[in-house]
Amino acid sequence: MKKQFSVDPNLCTGCRTCELACSFTHTVDGKAGRPRIYATPGGFEDLWVPVTCLQCDDAACVKSCLVDALKRNPETGAIELNEAVCVKCMACVAACPFGCALVDPEQDKVIKCDLCGGDPACARFCPTKALTYKPSELKASKIKVLG
Amino acid sequence: MVRLTINGRVVQAEKGEMLLVVMNREKISVPAICNHGAVEAFGACRLCTVEITKNDWNGWKNYVTSCLYPVEDGLIVSTHSETVINLRKTLLDLHLARHPHSEHVRQWAMEYGITQTSFEEIPDGDDCILCALCTRICDRMGFAAISTVGRGHGKEVAPPLNEPPPDCTGCLACAQCCPTEFITFSDSGTSREIWGKQFEMITCKECSKPILTKDFAETLSKTRNIPADYFEVCDECHRKATALTMGKISQWQREDTAS
Amino acid sequence: MVIEPRGTLYPRVKVKDVEKIIESSIVNDEPEKTLLYSPNGNSSSVEKYKNIPFYAKQQRIALRNLGMIDQYRIEDYIATGGYQGLAKALTDMTPETIVDEVKQSGLRGRGGAGFSAGRKWATCASAEETPHYVICNGDEGDPGAFMDRSIMEGDPHSVLEGMIICARAVNSHEGYIYVREEYPLAIMNLQLAIEQATSYGLLGDNILGTGFSFTLKVSKGGGAFVCGESSALMRSVGGDVGEPRAKYVRSVLKGLHDKPTVLNNVESFANIPPIIVNGGKWFASIGTEKSTGTKAFSLVGKVRNTGLIEVPMGTTLREIIYDIGGGIQDDRPFKAVQTGGPSGGCLPKEKLDLPVDFDSLTEADSMMGSGGMIVMDDQTCVVDLAKYFLKFLVEESCGKCTPCREGLYQLHSLVDKMSDGRAVESDLVLAENLSKSIMIGSLCGLGKSGPNPFISTLKYFREEYIAHIRDKKCPAKVCPSLISYEIIEGPCDGCMACAPACAVKAITGEKGKLHVIDQNICDRCGACKAICTRQAIEIH
Ligand SMILES: Cc1cc2nc3c(=O)[nH]c(=O)nc-3n(C[C@H](O)[C@H](O)[C@H](O)COP(=O)(O)O)c2cc1C
Ligand code: SF4
Ligand code: SF4
Ligand code: FES
Repeated sequence: MKKQFSVDPNLCTGCRTCELACSFTHTVDGKAGRPRIYATPGGFEDLWVPVTCLQCDDAACVKSCLVDALKRNPETGAIELNEAVCVKCMACVAACPFGCALVDPEQDKVIKCDLCGGDPACARFCPTKALTYKPSELKASKIKVLG
Repeated sequence: MVRLTINGRVVQAEKGEMLLVVMNREKISVPAICNHGAVEAFGACRLCTVEITKNDWNGWKNYVTSCLYPVEDGLIVSTHSETVINLRKTLLDLHLARHPHSEHVRQWAMEYGITQTSFEEIPDGDDCILCALCTRICDRMGFAAISTVGRGHGKEVAPPLNEPPPDCTGCLACAQCCPTEFITFSDSGTSREIWGKQFEMITCKECSKPILTKDFAETLSKTRNIPADYFEVCDECHRKATALTMGKISQWQREDTAS
Repeated sequence: MVIEPRGTLYPRVKVKDVEKIIESSIVNDEPEKTLLYSPNGNSSSVEKYKNIPFYAKQQRIALRNLGMIDQYRIEDYIATGGYQGLAKALTDMTPETIVDEVKQSGLRGRGGAGFSAGRKWATCASAEETPHYVICNGDEGDPGAFMDRSIMEGDPHSVLEGMIICARAVNSHEGYIYVREEYPLAIMNLQLAIEQATSYGLLGDNILGTGFSFTLKVSKGGGAFVCGESSALMRSVGGDVGEPRAKYVRSVLKGLHDKPTVLNNVESFANIPPIIVNGGKWFASIGTEKSTGTKAFSLVGKVRNTGLIEVPMGTTLREIIYDIGGGIQDDRPFKAVQTGGPSGGCLPKEKLDLPVDFDSLTEADSMMGSGGMIVMDDQTCVVDLAKYFLKFLVEESCGKCTPCREGLYQLHSLVDKMSDGRAVESDLVLAENLSKSIMIGSLCGLGKSGPNPFISTLKYFREEYIAHIRDKKCPAKVCPSLISYEIIEGPCDGCMACAPACAVKAITGEKGKLHVIDQNICDRCGACKAICTRQAIEIH
């Protein structure tokens, strides 16, 4: 079965280990990358949500890219951004309704979650298992942002 | 699969792959400034030229641009032979004469040990190296708002009739990809200017941060079928909203289990 | 004017002579002796054009019909054997045997590179992708060349016939003739010829009832020199900007719209009908072993007889310049001949006995090109010449690739510096090194051969460059910065003609007294020398 992120905000303590893990995994030339995942306040006391890309089926980022720099990796299911192709028009950054395509100003490029090639560091390092990466049936496109 | 030799090392590649792609994969680097993954190889800068031969060519050698040369079995490639280095130096030397004020050009020339041009400096030489990446990328985006005009030494990149280009959406892809940062634009919080054309920016409903031009967003909505309201919120505020939504669901679950 | 079948030639016919000519030549079948060509004054006249040296060494295949038929009448073309090649190709031959015949003829492309036409056709014929296209290159961008234009204007059907035969051989149903807009008459005549051929059933659907179809259109080019380059031409025909395209796949496999395409030159196609009628063997028996047949040249410059000529390959430069061209004007010494157009090469008198064929010219660092031939006498400065051609190429470079755009520009400025006396010896080394890089680095043939005018003149006239650079002297007395006009005592009788002719008022002197040119004011235009009837002004 396809693996997916599973998030349980009730377990998240907002320790931001996921962000650090992501950042260091995406180090280039000694420069740590900007995290693709953000532990974000969930609106209630002690409630944190690790917001990360859900690799949507009918992804807005892929649709918005006019030069086809975003393609799904058939092995991992991740929508990967090909840096060599990206023209930095920011269409995907603007289009993602979850805010999961973003700019890394330090490395001067557009970034998004690539599932670390199939074993996401964020989930691996989450001390409370609020974030796990495991087989799941949930369709990402079923999640809608409530107003 | 084909086998070829690059700088004495045997490497494998798919038949028909471009030599430069193979070299990049093997971490063998040559300057290739008119090349970009979003567009087809063009062969304008000629800096990626390498020397090739084959065992049965009786010592005959050829010089080809690696960005455009499909690899074949038995190819013997030298990326830094004396002739090739000499060619690259001449090309950089010529660039330095034409674009004396470009920091990027200085940098590239420096890497080949050239700090001063041997040729007559062109005093009013601008920084455009005529790689045509901007026009090709603009074409690739489907806008074709700018093009090269004229020929020879007087060639330049310009919008039609040198007026604000009607087809430009202000996406900035050209400026972002220009290897010498020659294309200028200005962004204020609510407006943008490029190629002499003014654009209104969409700003985030929540935090007022500029997101992208209205023209670009409208084009994307129309041609790519993306709901227009997606573009009304910036990435950071989108993440916040996502967290709040998921937070609400979790809070309900919490309350459910508590009661 | 030639009256056939006797072949009587009347040179420079005037309206008043026409009546006499009709009376004698046509009514009485006798030449009108007073109007015949006489080589030196009026001693002995020659009646038949074939016996005049200008024609005797020539053999006309591609230019066979020029001036012989009315180009506006397809009937005339047919009456002289036209479209017989096509009839034979369509009825007695298969596509394979047509290709074989062309291969056997040894015909090499007349547009410059000299690639085997038969091999090109064979590759296209066997290409799997469809459709196949046939294109005729009538761009003829070399300044001073007019062979192709003369054929398109004066014998358009020969080009059409060659193309239809080719189409049959490579199974193409659509063809284009690419002609520059500056050739309106050629365009008009070709279009008329296409209409006529179509109405005769020689073009269009079901040609001559054989079921084979081929349509032909004239495609107008913007007139840039580089549009004659194959990939630029095909882009232009396809509706794109006429800029060369960098690729390492031959256009015969990926040409127009990326489909298999045969591109041949006007003269190449004009040679096809005679090859089909007389056989490839016949054609191969003319010329040399590796360069068969004949080649047309436009012979211009300082020769007595200028004009369009066609000679068997292997004819020497000397035969062309002295026997056909009648030698150098005013009996001045021959200095050099430029073959192959602006990016061709310049050959000195030591090379006069060089046989003119593809390989000999290339070996001598020149090239056949499309057949321009410019003859120069001792009053030509090779540095000035190189500068002139480089300027042309700088202006014609499309500007796409760096070595050609920036390199030729800088090479021109270096040569300009030399001719101006501002150059130092290291500039020569710099220019040579730059030339090498331009030649290996450029994208298309224009850049690759661009430095030729400099390289070939340097090869044969190095000492002249050195004179400009080291001694600040122009041996041919051409380069304005390196010469001075001086009035010599003796011949000058103070006639006062020169002083008013000088636009910058550099000449002073009183009536009857020696005049003097102030070298600081003189801008070396040569107006004084032109006006002086006493031969008192010399160039130093
Ligand atoms: C810069 C440049 C200009 C050229 N101009 C012409 C031209 O005007 N006419 C022509 O027939 N070939 C021209 N050629 C040669 C063509 O590219 C091509 O080789 C030729 O048309 C093929 O026909 P052929 O094999 O019958 O000669 C030119 C080549 C270059 C590089
Ligand atoms: S403006 Fe920049 S991208 Fe465009 S051609 Fe010039 S150097 Fe290349
Ligand atoms: S060699 Fe000259 S004409 Fe040819 S592509 Fe380069 S710039 Fe254009
Ligand atoms: S990168 Fe190959 S020619 Fe510019």
